[in-house]
Amino acid sequence: MQGLIMGRWKEIPHTADLALHVWGSDLLDLFATAARAMMSFVAVPAQQGGELRARVQLEALDTETLLVDWLGELLFLLERERAVFVTYDFDRVTPHALSADLTGRPVGTYLANIKAVTYHNLAVVQTEEGYETEVVFDV
Amino acid sequence: MVKREEFQRVDAYVWELPRDFDSRMLVPARIYGSEALFRAAFDDRSIEQLVNVAMLPGIVKYAMAMPDMHQGYGFPIGGVAAFDADTGIVSPGGVGYDINCGVRMLASQIDEEEIRPHLNDLATILYRNCPSGVGEGGAVRLSYGELDRVLEEGARWAKAQGYATEDDLERTESGGRMPRANPSAVPDRAKQRGLPQLGSLGSGNHFLEIDIVDAIYEAEAAAAFGLREGQVVVQIHCGSRGLGHEVCSQYLRMLQDAPRRYGFEIPDRELVSAPYDSVEGRDYVAAMAAAANYAFANRQVLAHFVRLSFEEVLAGKVSNWHLQQVYDVTHNMAKVEDHVVDGKRRTLIVHRKGATRSFPAGHPELTEVYRSTGQPVLVPGSMGTASYVLVGTESSMALTFGSSCHGAGRTMSRHAATRRARGEQVRSELHEQGITVRAQSMRGLAEEAPFAYKDVSEVVDSVAGVGIARKVARVHPVAVIKG
Repeated sequence: MQGLIMGRWKEIPHTADLALHVWGSDLLDLFATAARAMMSFVAVPAQQGGELRARVQLEALDTETLLVDWLGELLFLLERERAVFVTYDFDRVTPHALSADLTGRPVGTYLANIKAVTYHNLAVVQTEEGYETEVVFDV
Repeated sequence: MVKREEFQRVDAYVWELPRDFDSRMLVPARIYGSEALFRAAFDDRSIEQLVNVAMLPGIVKYAMAMPDMHQGYGFPIGGVAAFDADTGIVSPGGVGYDINCGVRMLASQIDEEEIRPHLNDLATILYRNCPSGVGEGGAVRLSYGELDRVLEEGARWAKAQGYATEDDLERTESGGRMPRANPSAVPDRAKQRGLPQLGSLGSGNHFLEIDIVDAIYEAEAAAAFGLREGQVVVQIHCGSRGLGHEVCSQYLRMLQDAPRRYGFEIPDRELVSAPYDSVEGRDYVAAMAAAANYAFANRQVLAHFVRLSFEEVLAGKVSNWHLQQVYDVTHNMAKVEDHVVDGKRRTLIVHRKGATRSFPAGHPELTEVYRSTGQPVLVPGSMGTASYVLVGTESSMALTFGSSCHGAGRTMSRHAATRRARGEQVRSELHEQGITVRAQSMRGLAEEAPFAYKDVSEVVDSVAGVGIARKVARVHPVAVIKG
């Protein structure tokens, strides 16, 4: 299930690093939106080159750790496979686990290096509209 | 929100937030710096982060911030905190993701006028020989077995491979090899990331720079460091690359429930910690030390390729192209050190997050080479501006657990910097100042523009004002290599 991406995000000022506020209609939307937002800072996919695929299955202590793991996995795949994954077909998203098929392309241009996804003041919050969070990345 | 009035001015350069500001604080928080830098600290959330550090178990004396402080994640950048080895914690977030990010300086025997005609060629060859930028592999390829030796032996591994001299190791903090390193504590994914990256600068604020010494403040210390006015020197700023980032990430993940298990509270999940005297604490220290050794080896390999580049371009054109190491300092690290606290000797875990060790003359941990002068403290400025070489002082032992600043310190976000100027514009302004630039990313160049940083001279004057280091020499750049 890819779901309807309703999510939105905005960059929050941070003196040294990158901070994003992300909103999603549900957890799936939040995770997909956060991933797309992050990827838009790190690399642009090549116009040409074959389609790349990967499978991600994660389990975590809580939703915040799951989010850090998920975004970290995409950065790891970018570094190791030189793959920009921008389409995420989730078949499971719970507060403690997710699995998804990823589709993307080879890196066209690198934009910036994100060293890590931090836990700094990280909290995934449920609201009347869905879910929201602020993520700080070490750059 | 902390207000300025809540701080007490201890002296001209010391500002203290009393413990009773927040009932969770175990010690007061201190900011070191001029009044202008102290006031600037309220422009972002760094003081809030400093207050959080004061809440961590076993913290000794103060949560401290150096004059280059700015907002980070978990600890503020420029943060220093020491924890009791028996009752205190070790915190991966207090070291940061780029474990043993640090600076190395190499001194040549060449003067400015000798190098000027060759600067363009030198910048090009350095850019080719010393890989930089996002997605770039390193100059050296390793097997898993070889990587484990790097993790155990650090720069000493590099010597065995012909990348270092014994003199280089003597002039590296901790001899280029951290004790307590254990490759088996390093997660496999960290090793996967480290395998292809040894001998690479990376991106962001990392750089390689050719500078000219343009001021000497203390002749004796400068001579001991091998520095003189008009001389060409090289600075290398980088760390442990993906391997260090992954060690920090994995241990932060593993320790997420440690505060609950060990019965203490933390104000921010990035500050998860384990007692130093615990299985998790020792494992993290073993992995951190291994990642630090990777960083020492990384800067050593890069220094080797800098030397080869100097030879390639300058052999036969100048009489002596040899580069002697001045020093190599780390500025993201937790180290086990003995300090005198209120008249009593104690073993502490000193976390320096964007802060440099600043040990004085006579300190037993210093190399023989600098035992009588004190250690060089390398303070790189922002791109295109001055950098400083300082020397550690006795006062730093009394005030900051032997610590000083690590750089200029950012003052503007990367986003704001890219809105203010394009990379091409920054490059052309540097060019007009006589600075040759080689960079993979124009955006990266804009993000690192000098206007995004504090004035390094003001930071260094504050450090000297506090007395935690003394000025020895100033350098200015003539060529900058960036990822």
